[in-house]
This record gives sequence, structure tokens and C-alpha cells, in this order.
Amino acid sequence: MVKIFIDEIPVEVEEGTTVLKAAEKAGISIPHLCYHEAFPPEGSCRMCLVEIEGLPKLELACSIQVREGMKVFTKSEKVVEARKGVLEFLLAEHPLDCPICDKAGDCKLQDYYDEYGLFESQFSENKEKRAKKVKIGKNLIHDQERCILCRRCVRFLREVVKTQELGVFERGIHSSVNIYDLTPVNNNYSGNLAQICPVGAITDLDFRFKTRTWFLEKGESICPLCSRGCSIVIEYHTGHYRFGIPRKVYRIQAHTNLDVNGFWICDLGRYGYSYLNENRLDRIIINREEWRLDPVWDTVMKFLAQKIKGLVYRGKTSRIALILNSWLSNEELFLLHKIFKNDLKAGKIFFADPPQEEGDDFLLTAERSPNKRGAQEMGFDIQPVDSEALAEETDLIIAFGSFLEEAGLRGVLERIETKVLFASHLSGLDSLFDIILPTPLIAEKGGSLTNVDGRIQKFSAALDSPGDSRPEWSILAELGREAGINFTFYRGFTSPEKIFKSVGKEISFFRVEK
Amino acid sequence: MKEKILSQHFGLKNFYQIDEYLKEGGYRAVQKSLQMKPDEILEEVKKANLRGRGGAGFPAGIKWGFVPKVDKPKYLCVNADEGEPGTFKDRYLMSHNPHLLLEGIIIASFCVGIHSAYIYIRGEYEAIALRLEGAIAEAQEKGFLGKNILKSGFDLDVIVHRGAGAYICGEETALLESLEGKRGNPRLKPPFPASVGLFNCPTVINNVETVSNIPLIILNGADWFVRKGLPKDGGTRIFGVSGMVEKPGIYELPIGTSLKDIIFKHAGGMKKGKKLKAVIPGGMSAPVLKADEIDIKMDFESLVEAGSMLGSAAIIVIDTGTSMLDVLKAVTKFYSHESCGQCTPCRIGTSWIDKIVRRMAEGKGSKKDIDNILRLASNILGKTLCPLGDAAAMPIMSITKKFRKELESRL
Repeated sequence: MVKIFIDEIPVEVEEGTTVLKAAEKAGISIPHLCYHEAFPPEGSCRMCLVEIEGLPKLELACSIQVREGMKVFTKSEKVVEARKGVLEFLLAEHPLDCPICDKAGDCKLQDYYDEYGLFESQFSENKEKRAKKVKIGKNLIHDQERCILCRRCVRFLREVVKTQELGVFERGIHSSVNIYDLTPVNNNYSGNLAQICPVGAITDLDFRFKTRTWFLEKGESICPLCSRGCSIVIEYHTGHYRFGIPRKVYRIQAHTNLDVNGFWICDLGRYGYSYLNENRLDRIIINREEWRLDPVWDTVMKFLAQKIKGLVYRGKTSRIALILNSWLSNEELFLLHKIFKNDLKAGKIFFADPPQEEGDDFLLTAERSPNKRGAQEMGFDIQPVDSEALAEETDLIIAFGSFLEEAGLRGVLERIETKVLFASHLSGLDSLFDIILPTPLIAEKGGSLTNVDGRIQKFSAALDSPGDSRPEWSILAELGREAGINFTFYRGFTSPEKIFKSVGKEISFFRVEK
Repeated sequence: MKEKILSQHFGLKNFYQIDEYLKEGGYRAVQKSLQMKPDEILEEVKKANLRGRGGAGFPAGIKWGFVPKVDKPKYLCVNADEGEPGTFKDRYLMSHNPHLLLEGIIIASFCVGIHSAYIYIRGEYEAIALRLEGAIAEAQEKGFLGKNILKSGFDLDVIVHRGAGAYICGEETALLESLEGKRGNPRLKPPFPASVGLFNCPTVINNVETVSNIPLIILNGADWFVRKGLPKDGGTRIFGVSGMVEKPGIYELPIGTSLKDIIFKHAGGMKKGKKLKAVIPGGMSAPVLKADEIDIKMDFESLVEAGSMLGSAAIIVIDTGTSMLDVLKAVTKFYSHESCGQCTPCRIGTSWIDKIVRRMAEGKGSKKDIDNILRLASNILGKTLCPLGDAAAMPIMSITKKFRKELESRL
């Protein structure tokens, strides 16, 4: 360990740490534009210059490594003047179009000007003419006027994706980032470019002009669209309940998770968020009027528990069929396994999952459900829905509906007496079941998932769940208590964390040593 | 002139051909070196206090000593990208005396343990590049290059690589990038090329004139070399004198010769009817000296004391009939054109200053502009990724400060 002083604050860091990182540890943020943790320091923006006692010139905090006893000054007059100088240069050639720039509110140049600038421009020459609104990829618009040539985008495509669609053309003041010979950026990670651009030079067509960043709330979650389990941030507008304007997700960004996805997510995960907004089921639907059920949870849960109790009493629990999926959390799968397989010995358990597709050698996996590994480790034998077998000797079906194929079930379900569907979306299935109950999506509840590498990742609700929806773990814990099988075991399951403790106790795979 | 060592054979007919070169005792230094131990060569070069002739003046022996003894290929890059305005010495050395350079390359490579050497030559020197390639072929035929040189067991290949005409590629790390086939942008240092250089391997980068001195040091000894110049700054310099003098050209003279003497004795003084106004003593990047500041020794330390630098020893002589605003305009145009665009202060600063100066030249300037030029230049100075920023800021600041009155009179 090396001890250094940053603005007279002592801080101990490992040998080889850069001053910028050491300062972070001391709670001091040093402004930087071209530096990004994912890449080796570039040293081109010159924003991170700091003063170091004994050295004649200002040094780059992003690249200079700590030395025992080093005294660093990040706010001395010389440093502040240098930062102002750099900002003045950058802003001389930067357009003042923040009011129509998507990055406004999220822009480092804006933030630093707020912190160090606020000077009157001395620039009275003509700015260079540069191309605005150049489409450089499916979802990417490049504004060369706004570009500060930090080359994060160029380095990302060179060092991370290795597709190298972007380069720097011309030199000096005419330097510009562009694509080669009109060949667009074309890879499954292109959306990261808009995210790592520190200014509004690369913006995302999917997000462009739709809202302002300061209207958005942010919540962390895990991407459920493949089995990698990338950390994400969901950015959404809370909506205006009183005016009937619903909550709306505007974009998904990568959240840093060095163990899984680094700083990146794929375009599939980034742009595939419409399912969070559209077609949501937010209330209980009851199709059997003759049952005279109120569409409220209490009533319906009592009805369902009664059904199960009846089968238990008659010793006919094998006449229960389940259709599950690998979007269910570890906790939910645990309860399902416990209740229906161990306790009730349900006759049939199927899984309806999205089909496998092609993966890549970076983040995207061929498996397109987030928790297949969890289901396997929980002890499920994962079989696809056999619609012929489904109705044979079945009195009660409980289905979790996200990926159920309507076509295969039509005509089959009619032969089953009681049909219950848990679903997050409205669909054609709604008319085939007797009771349809709204459930939240992964982004709207807590729990844990097991990714393709067997890593167990916890998550909590990033968004409120719509309307009357209720998380599956809570429904299942209640069923466990009320179905007359083992009240005491299910009594304490009032949160995903409490359930997870039991999972760890029962199945060694889920035992987290901490 | 007896002092000449590098250019002593300039003018001999066909001296660039190996047969003529051998007649004058050529390749004796290589023969001698191959019988020495590499460490002995290194000691001799260190003792000779041979400072880099490219501009920065870093001692060559110390530079070689930085190369780590690792099990990796090592490279020598000879910087022949002579791009500093006013500088035209290396072209003469290479075209008149290519085998001296090759000898230097062989000795340096043998000393450091290098088996591939590159000569990075500016693209405009096409004829010289062809001459170097011819010389390499001759040397190979005679067994001075290639496998098992003079049966010593030492192998060396020399490759001539032509640049594409960018000033920045004379900066050593941009040169490496260009040589690797990439855009000529400087690298962030450290790591220095001695440890991580060409293709990420240890690399020595020396100027043509620096390398050409090495055979002479080996043949005549370090003491002889030091006596040719100054104790801490051995040998001669090839001064390139241009501008309003009677006899512009290159002059090989001992390090420490007075600037006044170079202009008024060797270069024949000012052109008839012209009066001295200012001198740029070390290539365009060097801060300007006024007419009354030229009684000065031309060596690294003396010029630093005088607030300028020896740089590439290119002396640009400016007469009273030349407007300093025009000089300033030439300077800002050059650096704004040649900035690679990688780092902020140089990319935008040089262009901004150039725009102001051009406006001033159109008669649309104000006093505020002159203050602004100084302020902007000081925001470039010492704050850029590579020395190009300083190279631009220094002459701009010195011209603006020393000739402020004249500039103001042009507003």
C-alpha cells in the first residue's frame, strides 16, 4: 500500500493506482472526459490535469501512478486555470444547442462548465463548419459539431467489440470521428456508443427528442432477455396518475458490473424494453361468472387455496398441472418446487420458455431466459409443454403465462375444470383461462436469478408494478400457507430475502458464503 | 574547414557509392565495433556526451542504456522525418553520406542488441529514400548488412519507411504509430519507447545526425569527440542557415560557435542592403531572438539561458524588411495545419490563434487580440500530450512579447 495526500487528505491505495482512482477513494472527483475505466488512459482531453508537489508541469491524473508520500493538489489556482483553459478551448468550437440536445442534464461538458467555467466567451472567430445529424448506425446519430474527440467511441469499437467501424479522419481542427466509406456501425453493442459519449455527439435514435433526462427516474435491475444477467439501469417517467398518463420506460442503459457485463449491454437488452410499457395486465380477470368471485386478491386466493385443499383432501393432487417458465426468480421456483413437487406431487410440470437463438462470444447467450440455470439447480426437469398430455387426468392447471403459445392450448384447456393464469401482459390466452391474475415483471419485483455461469444475482424492484399486480413469490408463499399442507414452513416468507435463506439451507448450490 | 567531421567528404564524386566510401576508409568503424563488447561501445558513446540532434538534445548513450535486457525483439528507428521548418541538414547527410548513417545504424544496433532497424524518412524525400535503399543493397552485398555481418554472428536488416508528409510524425511516438501503419498520433508517455516502443517492444529512436556521429566516435574515441565540441555537449552541429543572408546553406561547426559568427562570418552576413531584425535559432519551434541577442554560443545550455533553444540548429534569419506579423502568421498557420488533433489545447488552441492572427493581418485586429493570443498560447504551453503544443506556443509567445509594439502598429 502507498500513502499519498490529495488536497491534504491522506489516502492509502495499492501500488500502481492512478491519482484519479486514488482521489475517488478520498472522495474527490477529478474532472475527465476522454478517460473511461474500460480503456487504458488516452490523455487527450487534458481535463484531469493536477498539480503534484515537486513536478514542474501539471500531470494527468488519469495516467500518473501514485508514489509514496506524493502530494497532489486538485483545486490549486494553477489547476483550476488549466481546466478553465481546456473548457474554453472545447466550448469555442462547441455549439450552444443544449436546449435541443438529448445529452443535456447528463452531459459532462455541461457539468464541468457549471463547476469551472461560467466565463464569457472570448471566441470571436468563425466556428468550423461540421456535419450535424449524420446517421452512423441503425440507432446512432453523430453530431460532429458537438464531438470533443475523446475517441471513447473509436476505442470501444476497436478494443471491446473489435468491429472498428469508427475512426478519426483529417487532422488538427478538421479532425472528425466518422464511419469508413459509408459503412455504418453494425454490431449488437452499438447502443453503448451513445451511452459512453460524454457529450451529445452520439445520440440514440430510439431516445432522441422523446423526453429530457431530468424528467426520468432511474432504477437498477437485471436484464432478463438472455441468461447473461447483465446489470442495467431502467430510466422511466413515473407518469401522472391523476391525468391518466401511465408510467413509461424511456431507455435502458448498462450498469457497471465488472463480474458480469463490465460497462456494457447488448442492443437486444438495451432496445428490447417495450414489453415493460405495452399491453400490461393490471387487474384480475374472471371469466366464470357462475363462480360469483369478486376480482380481488383475497377472494381469488381463498378460492384457489380451497381448490387445492379439496384435491389434498381427496388425495387427488396428482390432478394438478403446472406450466412454469425460467423468468421466475430462484425464490419463486423454490416455492413452486416445494409446494407442487414435494408437498403436493403435482402430476405434470412443464416449462414454457422463449426458444434458444444464436448467441455471440461476448455477452449475448443462446439461451434467452434469465433463470434457466436456477430452475435446473432447483431440481426441475425442464420439459416443454406437451399439450396432448396436459389435459389428461387434470382438474386444475396453474400457468405462468409469459411465453405460452395460445395455438397449442386451444381445445386442450377446455377439458380442464379449473384454469388459472398468472400473467404480466394481456393476450389471447385471457379467454382460455378462468381466472387471470396480474403479476409484475422482473424489473418490478425483488428476488434473485442464476445466470449462465451459475452466478446468483439479487435484484430489487426498479419500478412500481402496474395496478393490482402482485409478485409471484408472495402469491406462492400465501398458497403454501393456505393450501393446508405445511403452514409453519411457509409462515415466515414475507420477503424474497427470507425465502432465499431457506433456499440456501435446503440446496447447497444456493448457499452463499457471506 | 578542419572542424568538419560529418560533412568532410561532401562534394567528393560518387561518395554515396560504397566503393568510393570504402576508399576513404569507410566501414572501418563497423569492423572495429564488431570486435568490441557492446558495453564498451555504450561506455564510449556515453563518454562522448553525444546529445540528440533532433531537437530535444537527450544524450544518446543514456537513451540506449534505458533499453531493458528482456527477451523480446528490439528495434532501432532512425528519425529522418526532418520536418521542423528551417531544417535541412539530414537530407544532405543522407544523400551525400548514406553509408556513414548505415555504419552508425549497424554500430548502434550491435550495441543494443537490435536486429531490425528502420529509417523513417519524410515522404517528400523520395530521391533520398531511393538512394538509401541503394546504399542498403550495396552494404548487404558487401556483407555489412544481413545475416552474420563480417562473420561476427550478428544479423541486421535495415528498412526504409517513407512517411506521408506529417510534421507530427517526427515526434518519436507518432513516428512509431505511423511506422506500425496507424494514424500518426503521439502516444501517452510513460511508457517510454525505450521500454514499450515499436510493436510494443523496446525501441531506440535517434535522429539521422545523431546516428551518423557514432562511427566517428568509435574510430576516433570519445575524448576526440568531446574536444570537437563542449565537454557536456560533444561534437559538431550542422547548422542550417536560411533567410536574408548572403550564403544560406549548411555549416558544420563546433558546438558552441557563436550565433553572430555563424551569420556574419560563415554565412557571409546579411544580404546586401538588408539589416538584421531577428533570428530563430533552432527551427521554427524555438523562441525568437532579437538582433541584439545574437551574441550567444550555439549550444543547448547557452540557448536555454537566453530563453530559447538549440533545437535542430536551424537558423532562420529575419531582416528589418520582414513584418513580424507575417512571421507570426507563418508560424500559426504551420502549427494549426500540422496539429494532429488528438489533444484539446493543441487542436483548438493553434487553430484559434491562427484565426486571430489572420484577422489581424487583414487589418481587423485590436489590442485585446494580442492579449488573447498570449493567454491562449499559455493555455497550450505545458498542457498538451506531446511537444508540438509547446513547439507552437513558444514561438507565438516570444514573437508576440518581443515584437508587441510592431504588432500593435499593424492593427
